[in-house]
Amino acid sequence: MSEVYILGAGIHPFGRFDKTYEAIGSEAAAAALKDAGVAWRDIQAAYLSRMYLPATSGVRILRKLGSTDIPVVDIEAACASGGAALRQAVLAIKSGEVDLVLVCGVEKMPRGFMDPSMIYSPWQIELGMSLNPGYWSMRATRHMHDFGTTEEQIAKVAYKNHRNSVHNPNAMYRKEFSLEEILASPLVCDPIRRLEICAPNDGAAAVVVASERKMRELGAAGIRIAGVAHTIARYSADFRCPADSMSATADNEGPTQVTARQAYEKAGLGPEDVNCFEVQDTDAFCEIEIYEELGLCPLGEGGRLIDEGVTDIGGSHPVNMSGGLISKGEPVGASHLGQIVEIVSQLRGQSGPRQVEGARIGLAHVLGAGGNCAVTILQA
Amino acid sequence: MALDKAARKPIRDGLLAGALEDLDQVSLYGSHCPSCGETSLGANDVCPNCGGASVSRTPLSRSGTLWTYTVVRHKPPGNYQGPDPFKPFGLGLVELPDGIRVLSPIDAPPEQLRIGMPLQFHPYVLRTDEGGAEIVAFSFQPVA
Ligand SMILES: [Zn+2]
Repeated sequence: MSEVYILGAGIHPFGRFDKTYEAIGSEAAAAALKDAGVAWRDIQAAYLSRMYLPATSGVRILRKLGSTDIPVVDIEAACASGGAALRQAVLAIKSGEVDLVLVCGVEKMPRGFMDPSMIYSPWQIELGMSLNPGYWSMRATRHMHDFGTTEEQIAKVAYKNHRNSVHNPNAMYRKEFSLEEILASPLVCDPIRRLEICAPNDGAAAVVVASERKMRELGAAGIRIAGVAHTIARYSADFRCPADSMSATADNEGPTQVTARQAYEKAGLGPEDVNCFEVQDTDAFCEIEIYEELGLCPLGEGGRLIDEGVTDIGGSHPVNMSGGLISKGEPVGASHLGQIVEIVSQLRGQSGPRQVEGARIGLAHVLGAGGNCAVTILQA
Repeated sequence: MALDKAARKPIRDGLLAGALEDLDQVSLYGSHCPSCGETSLGANDVCPNCGGASVSRTPLSRSGTLWTYTVVRHKPPGNYQGPDPFKPFGLGLVELPDGIRVLSPIDAPPEQLRIGMPLQFHPYVLRTDEGGAEIVAFSFQPVA
């Protein structure tokens, strides 16, 4: 089976734009093709990840690049949509049937809280169980109770990510906030505050992936996809929307632990080998839990990592150099591919002031509704 | 006043056990799986853990403790049926002795919420539907 490489990556900034999703998506796709040095007519299959867009979004977006008869498939796996789409591209190339595939993630979302009927049943909406941050917050409350994690540690994650975003032209906010400002921002769902959560928005990101044979034929130097994994949470392993209950007796590993282990095994690598991480900071607490579940520290010790600066740019395990979803916003279908664009830039040494010195291996992680989790490991 | 049996409906099919005319006797439905030992919420035909089809439906305990919580400080989007104007409210996972934690509104002043606090099941009539039937919902309340 062929190894699979990323030949090109492109992004449309994340934010709010007065333009159609077709335009946002096709710009990112065109940028990825240009970066790869290949033409749209050379692509043999395309996967389009999105959650909130209509049927055949992929066809509508990619037709703008010119007529084609290749399979164009829309993929949806909530926040992990981009990982699911990238995995399909990798499998298609490993099958030997195709050598050059485009993966594009796109979203265009209304301001404010997401439309609850996309995720919740009518009765949950009636009873007020339809606010996504409520679920994240309950995880935070319990973690604070069990491990002594503090509101200040949670705020420090938001501080780090907002600070990193100042150097990312593709982020939505790009504004540094002091710890005091973050801790003084209004509570959304206790203990999570407004400056500690991500907002749904618009954006797109795309990659061109190729077989090793195709890469050599083109004389390109790609970034290797060392491992990509996608799972849904095991029974009761993850209390996340739209769950209505959880077991008090089942003791399954969480989706991040399971998915990361699969990706690490495929890559033949462990967390200690990874130089930079982009992870699902839907809220600032979530990032602390992900440190633990990716294996950066034992369970319960995530708060210590942020205190010690381990996950700062310049720390031993930098996390969310891009500013994370907290500052970029979360265009759901595009978010994982946006993380991939950041990792590719880091591994190429093109990240300017937010560059992690000498980064050779990077990991991208997303996690969301239904316990959908994807982890991709890239190696220069 | 005697109520027609059809005059009350649970907010979700299979969620509530007991005759809805007498709310003091109503509880949440659980489904116990003898194969894996898990109890799931609602009257299920199949165990959502192991897929076993020999689950037995059983009323869940009406008392439990607060396992975790949040205070919802923004009006939830969509067809929320809570007080208008909106008032922040507690939402939590209530651990029942049956081995399950159930997501529920917590009917207590937000500042009084504590992990481990004892709570009591509280079914109530939320609204009347288009056909005139009373819709029964639930919350948990501190033990008086
Ligand atoms: Zn079972």
